[in-house]
Amino acid sequence: MRGSHREEDAPSVRIVVVQPPDHGPRVARGLEALAGRATLEIVHDARRCLARCDAGEVDLLVLDARRRAEAQSVLAATARSGGPPAIVIEPESDDARVLAWYRAGAADCVTAEEVPKRLGAAVSEQLARDRARRAVRGGDLGLAGNREVMEQLNSALLVVDLEGRIVYANPTAEQILGAEGSLHGADAGKRFRAGEDQEPLLLRTLRAGERFKGAEALVTRADGSSAPIGISCAPITSPEGRRSGAVAIFQDLSEVTQRRSHALQTEKLASIGQLAAGVAHEINNPMGFIHANLFQLAEYAEDLQRVWGRVEALRRAAEASDPGAVRDAARALAVASEESDIDFVLGDLSKAIRESQEGSERIRHIVQDLRDFSHQDTGERVFADLNQCLDSTANIVWPMMKHVVTLEKDYAELPPIGCYPMQLKQVFMNLLVNAFQAIEEVVGESGELGTIALSTRIEGERVVVAIRDTGVGIPAEHLERIFDPFFTTKRVGAGTGLGLSTSFGIVQGHGGTLSVESEPGKGTTFRLSLPLDAEPPAAS
Amino acid sequence: MSRERPLILLILDDEARILSALRRSLRREPYEIFTAESAVEARRVLETEAVDLVLSDHKMPGITGLQFLEEVAARRPEAVRMLITGWTETIDPNAVEALGIRAVIAKPWEDAALKETLRMAAKELGAGAGPAA
Repeated sequence: MRGSHREEDAPSVRIVVVQPPDHGPRVARGLEALAGRATLEIVHDARRCLARCDAGEVDLLVLDARRRAEAQSVLAATARSGGPPAIVIEPESDDARVLAWYRAGAADCVTAEEVPKRLGAAVSEQLARDRARRAVRGGDLGLAGNREVMEQLNSALLVVDLEGRIVYANPTAEQILGAEGSLHGADAGKRFRAGEDQEPLLLRTLRAGERFKGAEALVTRADGSSAPIGISCAPITSPEGRRSGAVAIFQDLSEVTQRRSHALQTEKLASIGQLAAGVAHEINNPMGFIHANLFQLAEYAEDLQRVWGRVEALRRAAEASDPGAVRDAARALAVASEESDIDFVLGDLSKAIRESQEGSERIRHIVQDLRDFSHQDTGERVFADLNQCLDSTANIVWPMMKHVVTLEKDYAELPPIGCYPMQLKQVFMNLLVNAFQAIEEVVGESGELGTIALSTRIEGERVVVAIRDTGVGIPAEHLERIFDPFFTTKRVGAGTGLGLSTSFGIVQGHGGTLSVESEPGKGTTFRLSLPLDAEPPAAS
Repeated sequence: MSRERPLILLILDDEARILSALRRSLRREPYEIFTAESAVEARRVLETEAVDLVLSDHKMPGITGLQFLEEVAARRPEAVRMLITGWTETIDPNAVEALGIRAVIAKPWEDAALKETLRMAAKELGAGAGPAA
């Protein structure tokens, strides 16, 4: 049903709901409370939705994410063009997926299960925020008329003058900032920081007019503690174009941060599962022949004991100087030797032991590789050898791919790089496993081995790690989406769809970039570029 | 046609140490054993020898055991085909059935179970091909 409510006298907001034409979560029902205040239009495809957005006819989008790709493309398009805020309805009650929508730019995310309870409130919240933003943009801060709206906001709203002193803070801002009394006139300029050594965000806005949208930062609370927040800042300019202050809208991200670490953990577990399967198999082969050899060696021992018994009997007969007994014992020895095939046993004994030793040596190596790979990570930034990180990761995933891949390495000499090694190894592993799977698809058809080429280079002030494969390649239409959370073309169970988005996040967190080039049928190259650190490694 | 000769067993595995250990396990069994470290070598044996039993690894460079056994089924349908692998859980049982594979043996193998599986296979072979020697 196409729902459309309108009352002539109310300032009506325009909400567009994008959902598949079949029965889904009862979005319209969840929005009943808004009847009279909003017009609601339900569309079934992204194109129509984006056309409405482009025409500036939409105040808020509600995206039913049962069609993930469509919801992602709408989100990406509106984020690019500064379109209306979007609330995503996630079909699954899964924290990782919800978090991914926030990361993809959703203003809010409600699971299908929560729709009856929470959708109405979420929409009101977004509309209030939007109104507040516009009111502030309006010029004279518009405080009088919109005060009520601002007080009701679940988001924190802060207005500061040119010196960074607080002109207005709504109750949510007071709560997050942890103020005991009024914040009016307090200095807020230095309270929002995106990084240790960076100029505080509000000061940047006040000084240079910089705008931030959904930046992640830490806020210093009144008691000196800090909390993670997502913050948008914009300068306020008078109608004559003079800068008169700044406005900041922020949300407490403590919960979201927890969700994110949960999602990262999920992804890590998926990688570890893959890793464990590969390692298990690599150990299994030498185990196979050691196990069989030990069984045979036990038989050889029995054979030798039997023959040795005859040798003892022969010695006793010889000592008793009984020629008849000696002759019998010698014959018995010959028979036993023959039965046990003792010549073969003696020849094969040392061979079986040597081969088993080789096998156990191989297992020892595998365990050593595992140790190198998981080398006690303190979770702190350290200076590490990227070539070694790449090598130890390749060693670990090698067993699962050696049947279809030849590995080429071309490393430059690199200085130690300041990084979180375990995180980078996780990125390398994701990229290597993807490369392997891309090759596996080709090899399945042709039977020829593929190539994965690893290279490291110094290019100016950056280190560039390239991982190239001769796999199937990525079609152009997928290329721009491969870093999106949950975007996957792998069969169910083969990938979480989080590998590349997690990798992207990790590389970004290192101040680096992750890029991709691909040609279907030829192969794919991922390039990871990290800043060379000027800091010398700490003396140990 | 008499069956005085021992049964011919072809074993294919890309891991030489596995071949060596299998030979050891089966040294007292009544088979004439040919081993191959690659499908190319194994094909050569198939061409020159009247192979009765084939035991193949699964994950190998460039070819899987299932693919190789499919080839054997086409070239020498009377040979009994078996798989020996550490990846038993990834083998599609439907493919095993479709290709008429007699047994899938897990690595590491139990000595007695391996011998018994081969004996059973040999017995059926004897029954199918007329009275065994």
